[in-house]
Amino acid sequence: MTETNRLRNFCIVAHIDHGKSTLADRILELTHAVAARDMRDQYLDRMDLERERGITIKAQAVRLTYQLDDTYVLNLIDTPGHVDFTYEVSRSLAACEGAVLLVDAAQGIEAQTLANFHLARDAGLAIIPALNKIDLPQADPEETAREVGELVGWDPKDVLRISAKTGQDVPALLQKVIELVPAPQGRREDPLRALVFDSTFDAYRGVVAYVRVKDGVLPSRAKIHLMAANADSEAEECGVFAPEATPVPELGPGEVGYLVTGMKDVHLAKVGDTVTIAGKHRAREPLPGYREPKPMVWSGLYPAEGGDYTALRDALDKLKLNDAALQYEPETSKALGFGFRCGFLGLLHMDIVKERLEREFGLELIATAPNVEFHVIRGNEVIVVHNPSEMPAPGTYDHVEEPVVLATIVTPSTYLGAVLELCQSRRGELIDITYLSPERAEVHYRLPLAEIIFDFFDQLKSKTRGYASLDYEPVGYERADLVRVDILLHGEPVDAFSSVVHRDKAAQYGRQLVERLRELIPRQLFDVAIQAAIGSRVVARETIKAKRKDVLAKCYGGDITRKRKLLEQQKKGKARLRRVGRVDVPQEAFIAALRVDQRAGQKAGQRTGGKP
Amino acid sequence: MTAGLYVHVPFCLTRCGYCDFNAYAGLGHLASRYVDALEAEAGLWADAWRGERFGSVFLGGGTPTTLDADELARLLARLRERFDLEPGAEVTIEANPDTVDEEKLAALREAGYTRLSMGAQSFDQRVLDALERVHGPASVHRAFAAARAAGHTDVNLDLIYGANGETLASWRRTLEETIALRPEHVSAYALTIEPATPLGRKVQAGLVPGPEPDLQADMFDLACELLGEAGYGHYEVSNWAFPGFECRHNLGYWRKQPYLGLGAGAHSYRDGRRWWNVRPPAEYLDVVEHGQRPVGGEERLTPEDERLEDVFLKLRILEGVPVASVDRDVASGFLQQGLLRRRDGHLVPTERGMLLLNELVLALAG
Ligand SMILES: Nc1nc2c(ncn2[C@@H]2O[C@H](COP(=O)(O)OP(=O)(O)OP(=O)(O)O)[C@@H](O)[C@H]2O)c(=O)[nH]1
Ligand code: SF4
Ligand SMILES: [Mg+2]
Repeated sequence: MTETNRLRNFCIVAHIDHGKSTLADRILELTHAVAARDMRDQYLDRMDLERERGITIKAQAVRLTYQLDDTYVLNLIDTPGHVDFTYEVSRSLAACEGAVLLVDAAQGIEAQTLANFHLARDAGLAIIPALNKIDLPQADPEETAREVGELVGWDPKDVLRISAKTGQDVPALLQKVIELVPAPQGRREDPLRALVFDSTFDAYRGVVAYVRVKDGVLPSRAKIHLMAANADSEAEECGVFAPEATPVPELGPGEVGYLVTGMKDVHLAKVGDTVTIAGKHRAREPLPGYREPKPMVWSGLYPAEGGDYTALRDALDKLKLNDAALQYEPETSKALGFGFRCGFLGLLHMDIVKERLEREFGLELIATAPNVEFHVIRGNEVIVVHNPSEMPAPGTYDHVEEPVVLATIVTPSTYLGAVLELCQSRRGELIDITYLSPERAEVHYRLPLAEIIFDFFDQLKSKTRGYASLDYEPVGYERADLVRVDILLHGEPVDAFSSVVHRDKAAQYGRQLVERLRELIPRQLFDVAIQAAIGSRVVARETIKAKRKDVLAKCYGGDITRKRKLLEQQKKGKARLRRVGRVDVPQEAFIAALRVDQRAGQKAGQRTGGKP
Repeated sequence: MTAGLYVHVPFCLTRCGYCDFNAYAGLGHLASRYVDALEAEAGLWADAWRGERFGSVFLGGGTPTTLDADELARLLARLRERFDLEPGAEVTIEANPDTVDEEKLAALREAGYTRLSMGAQSFDQRVLDALERVHGPASVHRAFAAARAAGHTDVNLDLIYGANGETLASWRRTLEETIALRPEHVSAYALTIEPATPLGRKVQAGLVPGPEPDLQADMFDLACELLGEAGYGHYEVSNWAFPGFECRHNLGYWRKQPYLGLGAGAHSYRDGRRWWNVRPPAEYLDVVEHGQRPVGGEERLTPEDERLEDVFLKLRILEGVPVASVDRDVASGFLQQGLLRRRDGHLVPTERGMLLLNELVLALAG
């Protein structure tokens, strides 16, 4: 419906917190997309979780009209900045011809600035760099412009300097977008090809796909065909986000919008699929889809109340539509019953998924300590292990391999020593150090994923006063000396507490976990032994002494009601405990291992750090 | 089945650090208005409770002995006019050692108060300090002697164990000094930290350590041992008495006999319904002075509530629950662990079982 030459599809990419969503706010205002009284900060961060945490989790597309020499239609996608959500960025890029690369002028280039720049360039997008937050007194536009100019190959003088907060020079930025971002290419006459770059499940309308039409026209009501799923459906409606969902008669070439697919089966509408028209007007070749992201960490998710297993499966199926990076496979735990082993892109992603499942689907979940994926090599066979308790017994295999990443750390040069020390203590291998400027270094390290996924980032921040930033990408698997540490409770191994750790850190890890469990597991009516074992060798042991006193001191006429309520509360508390063998274990104990990991890492870091 | 009459007097000289009762320091100026209101409230209930025989009266608080002997005498006389008190009914008054002397105690006895319950708490000054009590051990001795001199032959001493700094040795001395006085009745409570108290706030802020449960368990064991040897019968988790001196009024609560509570925040119970008066004394006065019953809330017990309370109370007073009412496996587990024993077809907590009573109750009430 819009002539493609007046269409501009672009996204905003940046390091976390550099102001993408705030810039989107100003653009919404300039295009009069939102009435002044409805405006609020980070308008496009619609999820409660996003607003509470002040970060963008989901990419959001909006369609805007901008009056300049002519009337332009802009499809803008605001993307998240956190490394765990890079997959959202790469999918957004495939729906755009241009990207605004925003850089906080007070911070300079950070690790995700580099990562997102490379993604956008590799996707062949026109890149428009801009410095943000120049209203801040500590902003250093000259230096940042120099760094950014060098990165993207622009004359620093041409790099725009804006304030997303005050709105300063945002119109100039839009002008540049219209000038430099090419109009989309597609032709109306061609068979329809539309890329599904995201989707959600609506309780009434079923699967809603977010699409970018590449070629041809998508009419509002059409018999559609999903090429990868090889499924047909009667589409019910298509529309655009303006910024609220607004039906339109059709989506023309280059346009971005939504499609109510008419499908109820959540497994069919996969992100990356190509929508075409069913029947003889079908397209021949699908569009290149997306590379499935590889999960970085795995963790068991179990219903806190045993019976909710099917509810959890349903919820995962539906959430997966809106979170394509999520993976899951059923598993059974002796301690926790039926649940799922889930793959996540990082700990923040894991946390967000758990929260969304709980909030959006009314579930209550227990998450076990996360771990990376291991490969156990036995002759020619590779056994993929997502759950430490599935690790074969020592002696029954040749060796184990763990995932390795290439990490990029941007740090002020003054903290370079501390950063190198930290990486060394995490079994890292230095690749190179380059300088963005004499004051700022870009360090590349090969590191085992298991060493950086948990607390590395916190450590990095605390050793550099918050100035360093981190990005990483997987580069394969490498052999490592890893062992499984098991926890025995009252003599019985508890599968949910097993973990795989490097041999040098295993005993210390075991001691700390046992110690932590002793703090978390309440006293029972009998002594409970907690042991950590590597194979049959016990490396740590603690005892929870039997409880002796649990009685309300007093109870008279006025108290009886209150005391009964106290007892009822105690009963509810008990119901929340998991019976493992004869021992009642609180839910927090199952994620205790995560925190132990962090502390073990810290201590190991300090110890090695002390060596000359 | 007789009924009990409870009368709440919410005034105290000062507030003790651990106390979360409906009690206030500095409200003494309201005292005579309050006694009038109690008498008026008695009038508001008299008709409804006609036909009910009262076997006990209990003036609790707060510190009822902050009122003068005349007021207390007049109050009891009015209550006798309004309600049908059994001849020989037990009439208890709680007393703080610093608020009584021989003359006042004699007057109370004269007025018909038959039983005296005194808050001693400890004979160790450091423990009293930790509890933020104002009196010292000497005033307990003095008040106790005065009670005897005034002719009181049924006296209870309240003790609290497990305050910060109290050792097992100190608790032993407190028990020994208590026993040496030979009160007819001893209540010994493990200190419980209530969050909404000055002490509770200090514990939460980490300024004072909370009671150590294992030490309190040892202290309980010692109380059982020493009081038992001295001839006291252990008839409720925290109560001991010479035979025949068990507190009839409190037993009434535990046996779920009906009781009527008068005064600010007082609770009542009758026919499966429990209700309670408004708590703030000023509000209480206001409502009663307008001729209204000062009821602030009520609950009707569901069968599950009844069952839980029943098991809870029956275990507390060592009557136990019928063997047949309990799942066999559950019972045999506790019998084996020595937390329950069998007596006359009932399951009764042992001394160790009394310390783990909540566990027992939750398991047995199913
Ligand atoms: N002073 C100033 N603050 C800004 C400016 N732009 C954004 N901010 C602030 O920077 C913080 C982060 O802004 P967001 O817009 O949420 O950043 P984001 O890039 O969308 O963050 P993520 O989506 O989590 O990656 C907020 O507190 C904004 O108010 C600016 O131009 N000047
Ligand atoms: S004397 Fe009794 S009621 Fe008064 S404050 Fe102290 S403990 Fe509480
Ligand atoms: Mg954002």
